[in-house]
Amino acid sequence: MSATESSMRALDPDASARGVSDGAELPPHATPTYYDRPLLKKPHWEWEVILYLLMGGAMGGSGILTALADERGEDAALARSARYVAFVLASTCPIVLIKHLGRPERFLHMLRIFKWKSPMSMGVWGLIAFSAPATAAAAGQLARDGVLPARIRFVRFLAPRSLTNPLQLVLGAFICGYTGVLLSATANPLWAAGKRHIPAISVCSGVAGGCALNNLMLALFGGNESTRRKLDRLEAVAGIAELVVLFSFRQISGAAGAPMFTGPRGRRLFNATILGGIVAPTLINLIPVHARAKSALSAILTIGGAYVLRATLVEAGKESADDPRVSSRQPE
Amino acid sequence: MGNGFFTDTTLCIGCKACEVACKQWNQLPADGYQFTGDSYDNTSALGGTTWRHVAFIEQNAPPDAPPTMNKWLMMSDVCKHCTHAGCLEACPTGAIVRNEFDDVYIQPDICNGCGYCVPSCPFGVVDLMASADYTESRHFVSDGRTHDDATQTRGGVAGKCTLCYDRQKIGVEPACAKACPTESIQFGDVDELHARAKARVEQLQARGVDSYLYGVDSGSSVGDLNAFFLLTDVPEAYNLPSRPVLPSTRQPAAYASAAIVAAALALAGFAIFRGAR
Repeated sequence: MSATESSMRALDPDASARGVSDGAELPPHATPTYYDRPLLKKPHWEWEVILYLLMGGAMGGSGILTALADERGEDAALARSARYVAFVLASTCPIVLIKHLGRPERFLHMLRIFKWKSPMSMGVWGLIAFSAPATAAAAGQLARDGVLPARIRFVRFLAPRSLTNPLQLVLGAFICGYTGVLLSATANPLWAAGKRHIPAISVCSGVAGGCALNNLMLALFGGNESTRRKLDRLEAVAGIAELVVLFSFRQISGAAGAPMFTGPRGRRLFNATILGGIVAPTLINLIPVHARAKSALSAILTIGGAYVLRATLVEAGKESADDPRVSSRQPE
Repeated sequence: MGNGFFTDTTLCIGCKACEVACKQWNQLPADGYQFTGDSYDNTSALGGTTWRHVAFIEQNAPPDAPPTMNKWLMMSDVCKHCTHAGCLEACPTGAIVRNEFDDVYIQPDICNGCGYCVPSCPFGVVDLMASADYTESRHFVSDGRTHDDATQTRGGVAGKCTLCYDRQKIGVEPACAKACPTESIQFGDVDELHARAKARVEQLQARGVDSYLYGVDSGSSVGDLNAFFLLTDVPEAYNLPSRPVLPSTRQPAAYASAAIVAAALALAGFAIFRGAR
């Protein structure tokens, strides 16, 4: 360092902390950064995308539940609720997605092409594909429930449940999972580190969220107690699986995972998603009291935890993109 | 093989003529006046409306070395126009295409600003152009168009280097290469540029300057870069990734993971809902 530079540095002692390159202070083979500036761009996604990730998960989970429910037995109310929930979410998700575009009036450009390589394109087509059986099944349900005028109740024959149920099962599972693929198939350090974990977490969270939302519907509008216990059990299985995958993700993600699992955001994830959104609802569901308020409380906690999980994934992803140290050697 | 850039950083003098020429030709708004204190770099990074960026790397020698050991590196960064481009694969509208010159081009009238290309670029190049960028820029308005026309045309969509597609169409070289006074930025057929660059590395090695080509025969899943660089320090010093990975290569594992967990939960669900009671 020249004499001039030494005196300059004395005037600005924090320069190194800001990442100003200083050969005297760098170990000879340390990997440099460019003034600690981000090497990658962070996603621009805000609340719309976070909300969509939550809604899409619950929608896919509801689609799966239409096929699981024993409709001719005791779960008729669940089949009805799942069809309506799936339809309402399939109708509202596109609004949120269109809102997030930089040029919303060009939403239809998404439909110019079908692209296997782009999870965003696959998601758009998956959403459209899902909304077809979801709409048909909901119309059929309206007809069977006697809501539709008698002269158009024939629509229930246009959408046989033997067709819509398996379609909603498969497409619902796709909707649950593709959002995780969409995140992990980017250069974002946190998301890329979770190429196996984030899709698994998305599926678990979607199924648990679908169970919780339908449990809430049954608690509000009446449903078989036995059906609600079954929803509790599936929700617990999905929640525990999510817990295991989250823990494994924390272990393998290293420095790239720090924005998600450490600091205030990590504490929020632990409190709201793990304790509040998985452990607490599972324990509440174990209480042997048959009360609607209990089911409703448990469901709201699960959905709240799922929202915090999605928000954490997006926000922590943004922060990880700001760290050039985890952006240079990108995971395979 | 198509057209590309060979950016020889040993020839760069940091004049930023490329940045200015690019802004002028492509009618991009100014970035505002910020003083970063990071050497002479007040541009900081490539962005939606900044398609050339000159990096300045001041490296002081260890205290016991002679002052001549101090290094001052300069590099004009640009979109790499990858052989396998993450942004192009991610784009759900088909707005991002590979044009007849083998370059990666965003059609601004097709892009709907979904933003998925932004985290999908392994080099952190492409970004969204905010509509506000255009309302702040007075220089953008030209040839009789109003401010609103300009915003309507390009605000809210993704932006990056087009490799001067419009100039190539009429047979002239891109604005940055034209403006470069030292031929640090060379434009041409990529095969020819490769040959020229390899000869330049040999010449520099013979003079005792440690140098290498970045983005040529690297074996990375992004393939060769149509805009490649001759560097004299590790990639990180220039804010380039030392191991860029094409993001779509993670999709098989990601889809498989989702499918396995979904199948397992569906089976659990069938057991719970339909199993023997």
